[in-house]
Amino acid sequence: MQDSYREIFLSESQEYLKNISNCLVKLENKPDDLGSLNEIFRCTHTLKGMSATMGFEKIAQLSHLMEDLLDELRSQKKAVTSNIIDSLLSSTDILEQLIQDVRLKQDSNIDISSYLESLKKFLSEEAVPPEEKITLSDIDGIGLNETEQNRFKQAREKGLNVFKLKILIARNCAMKEARAFLLLTHLKRMGEVIQSVPGLEDLKREQQMEQPFISAIFSTKEDREAVRRGLLNLSEIEEVIIAAAEIPPLEAKAKPQPQEPSAYIKKIQSMRIPVQRLDRIMNLMGELTIAKIQLVEMVQSLKFAPLDEISTTLARLTSTLQDEIMQTRLLPASYILDAFNRVVRDLSKKKNKEVDLEIIGSEIELDRIVLDEIGDPMVHLLRNAIDHGIETPQERIAGGKNPRGKISITVSRQKGQIYIEVADDGKGIDVSGVRRIALERGLLTELEAANLDEKKLLELITLPGFSTAKEVSDVSGRGVGLDVVKIKIESLGGRVDFETKPRAGTRFLLTLPLTLAIIKAMLVRVQREMLAIPLMSIRETIKLRPEEIKRVQNFEVVKVRDEVIPILRMDRELGIARNAAGEEHTNELIPLVIIEYEKKALGLVVNKIVGEQDIVVKPLPSFVKRTKGIAGATILGDGRVALILDIMSLR
Amino acid sequence: MARIMIVDDALFMRQMLSKILIGEGHEICAEAFNAKEAVEKYKASKPDLVTMDIVMPMMEELDGIGAVKEIIKFDPQARILLISAMSQQPIVVEAIRLGAKDFLSKPVNPERLKETVRNILANP
Repeated sequence: MQDSYREIFLSESQEYLKNISNCLVKLENKPDDLGSLNEIFRCTHTLKGMSATMGFEKIAQLSHLMEDLLDELRSQKKAVTSNIIDSLLSSTDILEQLIQDVRLKQDSNIDISSYLESLKKFLSEEAVPPEEKITLSDIDGIGLNETEQNRFKQAREKGLNVFKLKILIARNCAMKEARAFLLLTHLKRMGEVIQSVPGLEDLKREQQMEQPFISAIFSTKEDREAVRRGLLNLSEIEEVIIAAAEIPPLEAKAKPQPQEPSAYIKKIQSMRIPVQRLDRIMNLMGELTIAKIQLVEMVQSLKFAPLDEISTTLARLTSTLQDEIMQTRLLPASYILDAFNRVVRDLSKKKNKEVDLEIIGSEIELDRIVLDEIGDPMVHLLRNAIDHGIETPQERIAGGKNPRGKISITVSRQKGQIYIEVADDGKGIDVSGVRRIALERGLLTELEAANLDEKKLLELITLPGFSTAKEVSDVSGRGVGLDVVKIKIESLGGRVDFETKPRAGTRFLLTLPLTLAIIKAMLVRVQREMLAIPLMSIRETIKLRPEEIKRVQNFEVVKVRDEVIPILRMDRELGIARNAAGEEHTNELIPLVIIEYEKKALGLVVNKIVGEQDIVVKPLPSFVKRTKGIAGATILGDGRVALILDIMSLR
Repeated sequence: MARIMIVDDALFMRQMLSKILIGEGHEICAEAFNAKEAVEKYKASKPDLVTMDIVMPMMEELDGIGAVKEIIKFDPQARILLISAMSQQPIVVEAIRLGAKDFLSKPVNPERLKETVRNILANP
């Protein structure tokens, strides 16, 4: 064995042994000190690895057993007792001697068998039953902040009893958090809970309990026995330990000491799963959702109560499962946004502009597919902003602005939608320039140009083949323009809005669905066709008398609570053949679905409103992709196909 | 012994619960199969204890939680025993906050039901 390695081994192992001894002593005084326990475990584990690599058999053997025992302590399979500490300490001493022998390069004749035996004895011992394990020592770890301290003192001054409590919840309790919540609520009726772990608020926030017990400091006028009896009268309580409490020292943070995980052996918190597998799970989830809907429909028609119960549970569980699986598809926006700092830096340097990028909301999570797809459009918007929006420092100074331009990307999430805003504080879009170029490119005639208002004119920049840059620039003019951004975002079921102010800047707003795979939709029937309308775009559904539909010029409208809403007859709009004239209801109420798009309301006349449902979006094959009014299709519970309405294409 | 009302949308559950409770010597004074009926029948029969399935179909804007709220409003001393599936924990917590006395998780274990009912009735 090379001497250089030996030197490193010696110096490091010395360090570890010192640490182990120190922490063992600490642990003996405070058996619940997880930090020390983890530290001992880490050191022992490393020592074992190093000595095995170096071929020091005895050290490896002994430290291996120590590690096993420590692991049991760590996982609370065994309680920390002074016997165990003694055994660990004496093993550590032997380790020290063994290492000393390594230092002296002499073959060790130390017999470690008795130490191994001693450790093995503890390892083979039966696991300690939990009742013995709970002690009040955990409560000593509870710190009180100043207010809580004062409440403690006040309670004492009022002559109330102050107890420390430890309540062990039954092992087989199905809802530990709810049980704990009930316990704390119950305690509150008997007195005042000065501090507890977990706290009521933690439980209300659906925080999971780490351990099956509650520790609390509690003041009450009841005596110890009454409190104990009151608590044991509640169900699913295994044991109550109660003792008079002393005022604990003031602690800055009323939390049990942080349990530092070992730096070497971390519990696995997350794992990598291939994207294909997630996609497969998602697909299966879709199929499961369909099967569930079939089952629920069947059960509803059967009217068989016991089955009803099961199918309701199944329905709920599938939708919870669906939500969870959906979560696995989400990634924080920072995944792509972080790269933009570099993009902006490089681009602005190339254009001799000074630009700061501000990113807000990068922690917000988006569907992985959405994230994959919006990268390019976003880069395009940034390029545009740097190329056409932000002025050179000289121009900015002349315009009375900060020489450094600013671009901000803001991601936010509301009502199942993601909003991504890209705003710059540049010169804005030149409307007259847009008009001129549109004329040059033949995108509109002189007459049209004269009649279009500013907003309509600006919308021209999203047309294919439009670029206001005077010449093809290296940065943004590559023959693709905003039209590509628009098409991309719309293909994801989103939309692009923008506004611009001369000299103040331009703001693009991308609205995207949170997820692409499953959406909530309202099913309606139009003649014989089933149609799904995405729920997020529906404002309300109402029923009309036929005479409520009025004609204004060439449009049909209805008045809903003083608002005049244009209506579309869906069969006409989608070119669905009408049934025989007889079916045309003359006096019946007409169902109307009112949708909202770009803050404008639109009423859709349908034949029947069927109900709300989660639908699994299946993209249409390419040859029917561009069908007006249709965004995709879905398979219903009974196997029929429903078309998903494309709100954006209705005008 | 005690007069108990059973609220559950499933007939099967109502029958099972009443069988167990009658076996304990209690009287089933009312049964309700939705939240609205639960509130009405509570007011009419003022039972000593209610077992209530917390997840029930919405009835005139009233769900299980709504029923708990209404009953407690009418009778702050009401003894409500929730019966719920495990995945319903947040709703259970909310109902306890409103004043429900205890809860059982489905599937209901007869012994646990008897014990819990005894405990609730023992507390004032």
